[in-house]
Amino acid sequence: MSNSYDTARTIYMNMDIENMPKEQPMKESGLLTRKPTVEGMDYKNPLVRVAKQLEVIRNFRNGEADDA
Amino acid sequence: MLSEEPNFDRPIPGMSLTHKLGDRPWQNPAEFSTVDEAIDYYMEQMSSEEFMTQLADTLEMGVPVTTLANVIQMSNAMNGVHNLDVGIMVLPIIMEMIMLIGDSAGIKYTTGLDNPNKIKSSNPTRESLLSKVAMKYKKVVDEVDFTEDKEEEVEEEEPKSKGLMSRRN
Repeated sequence: MSNSYDTARTIYMNMDIENMPKEQPMKESGLLTRKPTVEGMDYKNPLVRVAKQLEVIRNFRNGEADDA
Repeated sequence: MLSEEPNFDRPIPGMSLTHKLGDRPWQNPAEFSTVDEAIDYYMEQMSSEEFMTQLADTLEMGVPVTTLANVIQMSNAMNGVHNLDVGIMVLPIIMEMIMLIGDSAGIKYTTGLDNPNKIKSSNPTRESLLSKVAMKYKKVVDEVDFTEDKEEEVEEEEPKSKGLMSRRN
C-alpha cells in the first residue's frame, strides 16, 4: 500500500494528544466529590474519547519502553 | 498500457445485486455503532494470545503498522462489525495497540509513519545506476550552450475573425 494513500498515517499524525488540556489533580478526595471538568474538552465528542484512550495506551507503552 | 486481449476477469455490471437483499454484511446495520463499543471490541480481540502471536510474526516480516491497522479496520468494516466512520476513528488506537504488542514482544517493527516524500532505496545496484544516469545527463547539460538557442519572442498576431458575431475594433 502506498504511503500517499495511507489514511492510518494521516489520522495518527493528526492526533495531537500531547497538547491536550490536562486534568487538574483533585483537591478533595471522597466518593461524592465532584470530578473536575477540563475546559475545552467535550467528552460527548467521540474523537475526544478516542484521544483519551490513546493517551492511556501511549503512556503505558512509554512506561514499558522505559522499563526495558 | 493497452492489452491486445480483452480482460474478462472483472465483475459483471449488476453482479452486486444478484444476492438477496440483506445477505451481505454491509447491507445490514453494523454490530457496533459507537466508538466506545468498537474500542472495547478491539481491545478484547487484540488481547488474545493467538492474535498477539500472529501479529508478532507479521511485524517481524516487516509489514508496516499503518498497513496492518488499515487491513484490520477495513476487514472488520466489510464483515459488518462496525461502519467505516467508526473504523476510521478507531484507527489510531489499533495502531497504538499494535505498537504496544510489538514493543512488549521486543520486535523492531516498521511504523510506516515516516515521510512518504522521502525516497528510500535500499538497493545499492539501483542507486549506483541512478547516479550514473544522473552524471551522464549532468555532462550533457553542461556541454549544451543554452544562449544559442535563445530566440526573440515573436508575438503572433491573432487572425482576424470574419464571422458575423466577431467583435469589431
